[in-house]
Amino acid sequence: MKFTQLLAESAGAMLANPLRTMLTMLGIIIGIASVVLMLAVGDGIRAFINKELAMLGSNLVLVQSDTRKNAGLRPRTGSVQTITLDDAEALNRLPSVAGAAPMLTTFSQISYGNDNNNTQVQGTTPIAFKIRNLRMAKGNPITEVDVASASRVAVLGKKTAEQLFYKTDPIGQTIRIDNQSFQVTGVLDNEGQSFDAGDIGEIVMVPISTARVTLIRTASPRTVQYVVVQAKNAEGLNDMVQDVKELLRDRHRIRADDADDFRVVNFGEFAKSGEAIATGLSVALGFIGAISLVVGGIGIMNIMLVSVTERTREIGIRMAIGARPSDVLWQFLIEAVAICVVSGIIGIALSAALAAAVTATGKFDMSVGFKAIAIATLFSCAIGVFFGFYPARRASKLQPVECLRYE
Amino acid sequence: MEFPTTSSVGNVLVQLTDVRKSYFSNRVETPVLHGINLTMQRGDFMAIMGQSGSGKSTLMNVLGCLDTPTSGTYSLAGQNVGSLSRAELAVLRNRTIGFVFQSFNLLKRMSILDNVALPLIYAGVARKTARERARAQLDKVGLGEYASRQPNQLSGGQQQRVAIARALVADPPLILADEPTGNLDTRTSADIMAVFTELNRERGQSIILVTHEPDIAAFAKRLVRLKDGLVLYDGPAREGLRQMQQDDAKDRAMQDAASEVNA
Repeated sequence: MKFTQLLAESAGAMLANPLRTMLTMLGIIIGIASVVLMLAVGDGIRAFINKELAMLGSNLVLVQSDTRKNAGLRPRTGSVQTITLDDAEALNRLPSVAGAAPMLTTFSQISYGNDNNNTQVQGTTPIAFKIRNLRMAKGNPITEVDVASASRVAVLGKKTAEQLFYKTDPIGQTIRIDNQSFQVTGVLDNEGQSFDAGDIGEIVMVPISTARVTLIRTASPRTVQYVVVQAKNAEGLNDMVQDVKELLRDRHRIRADDADDFRVVNFGEFAKSGEAIATGLSVALGFIGAISLVVGGIGIMNIMLVSVTERTREIGIRMAIGARPSDVLWQFLIEAVAICVVSGIIGIALSAALAAAVTATGKFDMSVGFKAIAIATLFSCAIGVFFGFYPARRASKLQPVECLRYE
Repeated sequence: MEFPTTSSVGNVLVQLTDVRKSYFSNRVETPVLHGINLTMQRGDFMAIMGQSGSGKSTLMNVLGCLDTPTSGTYSLAGQNVGSLSRAELAVLRNRTIGFVFQSFNLLKRMSILDNVALPLIYAGVARKTARERARAQLDKVGLGEYASRQPNQLSGGQQQRVAIARALVADPPLILADEPTGNLDTRTSADIMAVFTELNRERGQSIILVTHEPDIAAFAKRLVRLKDGLVLYDGPAREGLRQMQQDDAKDRAMQDAASEVNA
């Protein structure tokens, strides 16, 4: 019997009792939709994390002062500043380091005309713009010359610029930070959370030398609060952390059995915890999907058995006019597989619609990829074959005489 | 599976030699056929009659290759049926026998055309060719215009004509009709029997007809009467039916006598 004929007959059998077919399909539809969503959510979360990390600047670690126990007391982190501009310079020269930016930060009042605002001010060097992926919406970033001459210049975050200037062009305007005049040279284009300053759209950046002179008092003229260090690539990140630790221990003359007087915070760890959440969600959805598929498969087996019994006479007629046992087996097997494949397609469509709806909210990008569709289709075929085989085999073993007698 | 050609088997289409059939239930043997010997030539039109319990249906199932004998040999168109697997039996039925049933047995969800084409589909004929041949066959029984209808949209007589078209479509050497007029009124029954008679006369189509109605059996050339799983009569239909009437008259006289004695 030809495959097209089998397909046509399966379609006929499915349409003969649409409500029952629909209800039978429901389990598989939910199962397949869960599996597809599982893959989409996993991919979505991974993409989200990568995007966020890229926004912060990728492969970054933060080196900050740490306190050592002194006569049984451990002072608060940051209360003792052990990292200096020279450390940052030395880190910058390490072969595994792409760039190292020393940082001094504080919260200050920013004002222009009658408007004022409280926000984080970061004193840093031009390297920070490069390694933190900061792009300029307009104007120029802080330059080496600004740092060398402790110029009173500032680069504003996008939101801060909008709040202070409305429609006026901020470039060239003079603002006051803690009552000291600064000229605006640029506006940042970035938005979103940063790892050290809340919303990156709200920060104000000034040369680190200017910050030290005008805004932030430090323990000594060369200490900094922390240094942001970027590795050349993701693979080299752990090696770089090792290099950074060795260099600083050496520079700080820390003996082999003494503890570090600094701390390295690795943002890759955040990526790892995000990955763990993605995996957890995937496993949970996958579990729901698997249970639903098994239950749906049993439902299909059940309905196929009912169908074989209901159609006993039909089977008898077919056998009488020349259907071989294998023809009957194929007919019922193809029917079960067809139900599963149609359910699979509906499941994929359903999950694609859900993914599109989630994406439309703009908070989270979810897309049903080719891989997910391929896996789902394969899965639904496999379920049809697995759960359809027993009823089909049972139909093929029926005796024509008994079938023809069946009412 | 090889099918011998007509010339190689001569004119014998059906040959039953000491065919016995027993049913087993809970290891208790219930014999139904007690040794049937029957030979049928090509072109014959044979009616099989018998009261219920005579083994008529069982013989019909054996003849139709729907069931295999417990012992004895059955040879159909030169094939020894007893040695065939289920799949081979299916192929043999498909190529050798056209079935016509009492309850028509058309498939409900299919169009008339697809019903008639189905034996060809199982024979591996391409869908398009099968449909063309089915349409031609439907035209022959005068139902070409109903091709796209569903079976339940037709009258009983029309449905039985469709069933005959289905039985003939693959051009099998033998038509096996099991009470083909059992669900039809007298007028339609006569029409259907006229179709069978014409097929036998014009095309030399071999037909085996199972019935309990003497009026219907009268259309056949030859009559086989069964009683208690044995052949009671095998000969010309007219003579057989006359004997049957006499037997019935005797039975009635016996009954009358018995009731008088009891009274």
